[in-house]
Amino acid sequence: MARPSGGWWATRRNRQFALIVCFLLPSLVVFFLYRLLPLGWNVILSFQAWSPLKPAQWIGLENYAEMWAYDDVFWVALKNTLIFIAASPLAIAAALGIALLVNSDLKGAAVYRTIVFLSYPLMAVAVGIIWRWMYDERGGIINYALRASGLTTRPIGFLQDFDWALPSVIFAEVWQVIGFYMIILLTGLQSIPPNLYEAAHIDGAPARARFFRITVPMLRPSLFLCAVVGILNSFGSFDLVYIMTNGGPGHATELLITHIYKSAFVQSKFDYAAALTVVQFGLLVILTVAANRAAGGNVGAVERD
Amino acid sequence: MTRDAKLLVSARHLTLMVISFAMLVPFYWVTRTAVTNENIYAYPPSLLPRDAHLFNFVDVWYLIPFPRYLVNSVIVSTIAVIGNVIFNAMAGYALTRQFTGRRVVLALFLSCMLIPFQATIIPAYLITARMGLLNTYLGLAFPMLSTIVCIFVFKSAFEAVPKSLVDAARIDGLTEWRIIVRVLLPLSKPAIATNVILTFIWSWNNFLWPLLITRDPNMQTLPLGLARFLSYMEDTTGALYAFAVMVLAPSILVFLMAQKEFIRGLTSGATKG
Repeated sequence: MARPSGGWWATRRNRQFALIVCFLLPSLVVFFLYRLLPLGWNVILSFQAWSPLKPAQWIGLENYAEMWAYDDVFWVALKNTLIFIAASPLAIAAALGIALLVNSDLKGAAVYRTIVFLSYPLMAVAVGIIWRWMYDERGGIINYALRASGLTTRPIGFLQDFDWALPSVIFAEVWQVIGFYMIILLTGLQSIPPNLYEAAHIDGAPARARFFRITVPMLRPSLFLCAVVGILNSFGSFDLVYIMTNGGPGHATELLITHIYKSAFVQSKFDYAAALTVVQFGLLVILTVAANRAAGGNVGAVERD
Repeated sequence: MTRDAKLLVSARHLTLMVISFAMLVPFYWVTRTAVTNENIYAYPPSLLPRDAHLFNFVDVWYLIPFPRYLVNSVIVSTIAVIGNVIFNAMAGYALTRQFTGRRVVLALFLSCMLIPFQATIIPAYLITARMGLLNTYLGLAFPMLSTIVCIFVFKSAFEAVPKSLVDAARIDGLTEWRIIVRVLLPLSKPAIATNVILTFIWSWNNFLWPLLITRDPNMQTLPLGLARFLSYMEDTTGALYAFAVMVLAPSILVFLMAQKEFIRGLTSGATKG
């Protein structure tokens, strides 16, 4: 190979290092441009007054002050986002139930698993359209079922009613994501060593004790993961909310993410939306750390037993 | 089996059947509406499709530029999938080697994994605008050109290849590049499949990013077309549901064909996180 002798290239080690850098470069560029740089820029932007037409100006905490004192929608969106997240433990509990039912030598378990999981990889926009139609006052099967069974005489406008709208959207979201929770929990269940159960069985521990003393503690990492997914979904459910209600009626289903989108890309208040994003991201980090503490702390408690 | 045990098994089946039924109702209802001839608002709605037909599916092609959206979606997904497989395999291979700064790169990847894309949309939009990539295929695919989860899938697949095999190839004088293409990749087909499927589904379903950066209708993808169709026609026509069924069909097919690879990708990402 005709390479200049001596110099940096000469050593095999350096050549290898250059090769490794080249291999990592494309991925690093993507993550730098679309993860790290935006995160940093976003924080900077939140302390500035900026719009595409005027130069940036430092204004300190003014964006945050506006959010705190004048933006009623922010508080509604924050409340709705927290409700959205608070609903995920219920979904996770239901998913755990399904995972326990499916996790055995039950004939046809694979079929049930596929059916429950089928909704997860689907396009949220299409899922939103399906659920709009499910909830429809005239054409929707839910209202039809309620009326035909005599539970209600008048159709319920699930997505038009201020009280029903948020739970209805959350229900659709749970329908889509429950299969994913189930898969995570199933993987966790399958990694529990069977001899633990055998030992408990020999000791004569009842099923309840086996569940709370073995299954739940051993599932902590999987449960934590589900909780993180549930927290992240408050970001990720933008598509579903945008299609089903676009935050309405009023702001009854407004989430922080839809408020961020509208502030930035409808009202062109990029600087203010950046401050909203910082708050949402902070919320996410705090909740994730709290979930981690809950999982870790309890695991320690069990070990002390 | 004792009578009690049998009863328990039946109870489990029954519960699971009820759950499965509930999960499938939305699929059934949208398909029924898509093939319904009558006024879709007729009350009471018929549970079975009467005079099933496929007019609505044909209508979609006339009511909106469906082929345009389809072509755009296919192009963007293809760019994303090809970029992903190549870049992730390269990065995954690099991480199997020892080099200075390896820990820093690993820590960087893991921390990037915790940043949800939605938390970066405003600067991401501004950056893409500065690069002049608004309304372009490359701009649409760029944020999805590499995925951390899949880098780790490749890393563990490469690590599972016997070291003696790689060493033998190296003694035979194969270059690093050839070792990857001739030895490692053929032995990592499941990893490639996982990567292709995950990226395809993510890219195919992606809505928020195209919504932000494509104002030009000629560059919009299927999810945007679906949203646009909804805002034009509201829920008034069965064609909307035919559109939804047509958009869902590819991902359902891909999922049913490659469920194992898909789930492996998700769970390996999950445990690595």
